[in-house]
Amino acid sequence: MLVRRFVRRIAQFLIVYGIGLAGLLGLKYVLALSDYVVPDISLILETAKEVIADYIPAVFSTLSVTILGQVISIILAFSVGIAGRKSSWLGSFIRVTAYNIQAYPIVALAPIIFILLGDGFISRLLIASMICYFPLLLSVLGVMAAPVRDIEHFYRATGRMTWQLEVKIRAFENLSKLTTVISGSATLAMAGTIVAEFVAANAGIGYSIRTALYQSDLAKIFVALFLIGIIISVYQGLLETVGTWIIQKTSTEASSHE
Amino acid sequence: MNKKYALFTYILLFLPYSFLCLLIVTHSAQAKEHEIRYRLKWLFNTSVAGDIYANKAGYFAAQGLQVNIKEGSPEKNAINELELGRAEFGVASADQVIRALDKGARLVVLAQIFQVNPMQWIYRDDQPEIKTLNDLQGKTIGITFGGNDETIMRTLLTKAGIKEKEVKLSGVRFDFMPFFRRQVEVWPVYRNSQGVILQDKLTKEGEAVRFFNPAEFGVNFVANSIITSEEMLKEQPQVVEKFLTALLQGWEAAMNQENETKVLAAVKALDKNTDARIMQKQLASTRGLVLAEAEAKKIGAIDMPAWQQTEAIMLQAGQIKRAVQVEKYLQVR
Repeated sequence: MLVRRFVRRIAQFLIVYGIGLAGLLGLKYVLALSDYVVPDISLILETAKEVIADYIPAVFSTLSVTILGQVISIILAFSVGIAGRKSSWLGSFIRVTAYNIQAYPIVALAPIIFILLGDGFISRLLIASMICYFPLLLSVLGVMAAPVRDIEHFYRATGRMTWQLEVKIRAFENLSKLTTVISGSATLAMAGTIVAEFVAANAGIGYSIRTALYQSDLAKIFVALFLIGIIISVYQGLLETVGTWIIQKTSTEASSHE
Repeated sequence: MNKKYALFTYILLFLPYSFLCLLIVTHSAQAKEHEIRYRLKWLFNTSVAGDIYANKAGYFAAQGLQVNIKEGSPEKNAINELELGRAEFGVASADQVIRALDKGARLVVLAQIFQVNPMQWIYRDDQPEIKTLNDLQGKTIGITFGGNDETIMRTLLTKAGIKEKEVKLSGVRFDFMPFFRRQVEVWPVYRNSQGVILQDKLTKEGEAVRFFNPAEFGVNFVANSIITSEEMLKEQPQVVEKFLTALLQGWEAAMNQENETKVLAAVKALDKNTDARIMQKQLASTRGLVLAEAEAKKIGAIDMPAWQQTEAIMLQAGQIKRAVQVEKYLQVR
């Protein structure tokens, strides 16, 4: 089941990548473009052979920052989301701040982060977390701020409602939505990490893309995009599997309690 | 039903790409009649004063040309634009040209504006002067990984027999902080743009600077050149001739000190963010790089040995797979 899920995800990515590449190659032959503008398949393969040994560790370096950044974002989003779920002044303040900060393009903030924190691991992590964090936060706020009236009313009426219970009820009722958002945020965390590496790092696949761009080497960029696509497909597949497992487990537990 | 669904999915997947291809093809063909599109390598600034002035002072118009000068960037590459039919002329660095030739691009070099490569390194006056390449030993040197300054510096180090572990190569970005904080001692700059700005800032702090010019140590890596496609040269040689004549006249006039006020005004109209005082210094610096050896050469003269050396350096560094014999693509006037 797990293997099939991964195979399906990778196959889907390969179809999309293949269509994209075919489109570009079609353009190359229609417009008689040189390999400098759009490299042909043999050049892409030759380049892949040359750079794969460097690009695989780079993409794993990016993935490691992505995972860490996503974990930090999830923890932060849930903490702030739970704190800001009340329709109090603080809750409203947190929501407005989240919306406003999200309006700033990260490429404009990245140089400032780079000046403050340098071009190392922390900058990458921070930017990855920032890109991943806000959409997560908004989803968590949406879930946590929406009462599950029927169930909550029972606990309130019987005087057994605590904030922990309130959070549990709302999370449980929206578990499917939350797991989808979390697995979807992996793409954002990856994109964030790559942007950070592109702008302010000396490592990772985003940095490799930037170097390739300086050399106008589109073949290297194709190889990098391929690896990013594969790795994110596998990672998202893994997150979806964990999400499904959590939903099944909680449903089973709930049924056994009934 | 499944087959219908699958067909629908494929159509959905292919539709955006087909639309994109159509857009690219039609966009490539779009251009105002008689308009010549000229793609620069970078943003409007004093280093392209001659290009701007050729337009502003009417040199193109005098040749019957209507030229649209467009800013460039790493993504807006003139060579790509020529091939895609989005520009007729462009500016590209020698390494870009040689890489493109290596990959089968059909282009020709019409002129070489900078006789001395502006890509140099700045360092503080209180540091020991770099008199020989061996003086680089032990220094923390900034380079843009993947950029042509990396190639130049590695060539210099190889030439001096300095191993990589004997220096510290530090990756640089748009932010000068590591240089200001002295974390990096020797910092790569374009002498006539960033070099002027950094020198000015440090002078205000009471610090003097020096520049390390690779050409003085035998590494002549060619900078920007004016390019067009082989097709353009073959099919519209008169337009090419007119364009080049006007452009070089523009550069000649722009580098003439008597026209300084008018040239600065023309640049300022397009580059509003740079301080006028800095711009004046940048123009003076540009003059030095464009007019170097002017007694022996005309503006725009192609330095054939320098191009050959640039190709040899790139071949040795593994940046190109074969010798492209760049001299075959240089239109020496």
